[in-house]
Amino acid sequence: MTFRGRHWIAFWLVALLAALWLVIARQTSALNSARALADLREERAALEGRRADLDRRVRTAQSRAVLLPRARKQGLRLPADTEIILIPAPGSTPH
Amino acid sequence: MAKPLVRLRVVEIGLAAGLVALVLRAAQVQLVEGHKYAAAARAQRTERVVLDARRGTLFDRHGLGLALTQETYHVGIAPNELRDPARDAATIARQLRLAPRDVERGLHRRYAWFAGPFTTADVQPLRTTRGVHLEPVLRRFYPSAEFARAVIGRVGEDGRGGGGGGGGLERLLDSLLAGTPGAAVVLKDRSGREYESPARVIAEPVAGNDVVLTLDAELQEIAQRALDDAIDNMQADGGDVVMLDPQSGEVLAVASRRADGSMRPSAFTETFEPGSLAKIFAAAALITYNRVRPGEHVSGEGGRYRLPDRVVTDEHPLPSLTLADAIRVSSNIALVKFAARLHPDEQYGVLRAFGFGALTGVEFPAESPGRLRPPREWSRPSSASLAIGYELAVTPIQLAAAYGAIANNGVLLEPTLIREIRAPNGTVRYRHRAEPVRRVVSPEVAAKLRDLLRGVVEQAGGTGERAALANFQLAAKTGTARRVVGGHYAAGQYTASFAALFPADEPQLVVVMKIDNPQKGSYFAAQTAAPVTRSMLEQALAARTVALDRARLSNVAATADHARLDEPDGVVPYVVPWPYARDTAATEPDRIIPNVTGQPLREAIRALHRRGFQVVVKGWGVIHHTWPAHGEHAAPGTTITVFAEPPPAKR
Repeated sequence: MTFRGRHWIAFWLVALLAALWLVIARQTSALNSARALADLREERAALEGRRADLDRRVRTAQSRAVLLPRARKQGLRLPADTEIILIPAPGSTPH
Repeated sequence: MAKPLVRLRVVEIGLAAGLVALVLRAAQVQLVEGHKYAAAARAQRTERVVLDARRGTLFDRHGLGLALTQETYHVGIAPNELRDPARDAATIARQLRLAPRDVERGLHRRYAWFAGPFTTADVQPLRTTRGVHLEPVLRRFYPSAEFARAVIGRVGEDGRGGGGGGGGLERLLDSLLAGTPGAAVVLKDRSGREYESPARVIAEPVAGNDVVLTLDAELQEIAQRALDDAIDNMQADGGDVVMLDPQSGEVLAVASRRADGSMRPSAFTETFEPGSLAKIFAAAALITYNRVRPGEHVSGEGGRYRLPDRVVTDEHPLPSLTLADAIRVSSNIALVKFAARLHPDEQYGVLRAFGFGALTGVEFPAESPGRLRPPREWSRPSSASLAIGYELAVTPIQLAAAYGAIANNGVLLEPTLIREIRAPNGTVRYRHRAEPVRRVVSPEVAAKLRDLLRGVVEQAGGTGERAALANFQLAAKTGTARRVVGGHYAAGQYTASFAALFPADEPQLVVVMKIDNPQKGSYFAAQTAAPVTRSMLEQALAARTVALDRARLSNVAATADHARLDEPDGVVPYVVPWPYARDTAATEPDRIIPNVTGQPLREAIRALHRRGFQVVVKGWGVIHHTWPAHGEHAAPGTTITVFAEPPPAKR
């Protein structure tokens, strides 16, 4: 079968449309990926920010400035060194 | 009138000439000026943007983040894009904690800009609001705002440690922390707005290195809080605390504060006359040059001793004193008398060998070398003055390093604030090893000096009695010196200071505390700095994660009898060979950190102990991860922080 003029035109038209579709599909996919990436980046940044905020709050809550007054209110106190007993590590030689 | 043929020819020639001109112009535009127009077109539709590099994190020695980089946002609002301006303005004002009036005023402009910076939590609900444009910007974040602020410093408005930065380590380590910014090209429309399209990255940004400091967060907090309380309770002008590991030279805590709450790095940059704290260095010279015999006494002169050009007094005079007594009760008269046996070069040489009058080498910008004049500049009373800590200006870090040399069997180490530098991929680029500066005194002399210092706390009548711990022996010295203000001794103003080695045997901690001009109660160090140091040590003992080797502490005999230095057959319990070797573990090759992820806490700790590592536990349950991570190499004795999580609930 031999291609006539109109077939050639149709062929090139289809080829052109396919090429255009390919370009648009690739661009759309790239845009979607970029958008997904940006979303993930934002999500990560948000989580990191939240973690930093929680870290800060935990550290403030754990600080002596907060804990000691509360402990004192409960009647607790820091142990004196006489109340701290260190058990010698097994296998170590005392001097 | 010309014939039609001629007119036609003229038109043809004209057209041809026009065509040629067009072709030539096209050639000029395309070939000659093409690059210029291409560049202009590119500039019109693209924009080169700088991709900020993430600044490296500063950690404490256990991996706790002290200075982190976090993404924050500037917020731009295009009023014409808002769907419901009134409602959106209210939401924006609420989320960004802005005055509603400011937001409404902004909406009357073409484009409103709020620099913030705002956190991700602030802007999260605005992400989907049409007309709100977020511009991410990296910002330095300090989880504990006041934590070692004077040492860490702050970055400037430009996010860099130099220039307008707040100094400290952020400034010193700027080139290490900053990283290298990247670049990308984005498409934009004719109004200059960026298209939502992937940017073409020209150069990826390279994050900065992470730096692990030697600071111990818990010790630092203990030091800061103790100093704050001391300044407030004693109505002092300010003060400093330095804690140092004498075996590695690592600075574990540095706290500095003034009465007005400001924090200057005065432990590194501001000098003072140490007074009696320097007596131990005169004793070091006397013992080194064998100018005092064991048990030798000098007269106490009834507490008042007249020199040719000055009078030296003692607060609590004894009839006669040995060198040990002189250190124990901090006798000016006895020390002046003993020090008279030293040649100025010997006295100067020992002080210089302990590091006075020179930079310690700690990595801190603008460290002061202090002042120690050479003998050729001395006046007649200089020798006596130096023996009791005057005519000598030192920084607290110099004193800590010098006392560290006594603790470290006579070897002066370079103090350091940097434990490790890690590349963004986790590779260790630098790891601190103890840096011996010089041997100052022999191990035997160092042991004798520690015994002298032990007497200050542990023997009756010692000026450091109020620092004594019941279960651990302390070697320490008090110092109360007149204060120099504006180049003159200020009437009624004193600096109370205290230097301690904890414990007295195999010291693990050197503590130097200085209180400037305590005004409420006593100004003597014995009643001010000494009890505060005791309180700090008690807190350090009670804290779980403080960098103390409790296994070694448990083996130190708390009530061991030590022969007095004065007795002729005094036993010196320390004999350490030279050349110096800090510890045998440090010379062993690095070991791989085992993978203990998922293991129960007890098993994981056993596995790490078997490899020769020390362990700090965060949380409970099964191991989630370790820091440094498994697979990395670390020297035996390195502290590995294990992070545990509660085990998942069983169904």
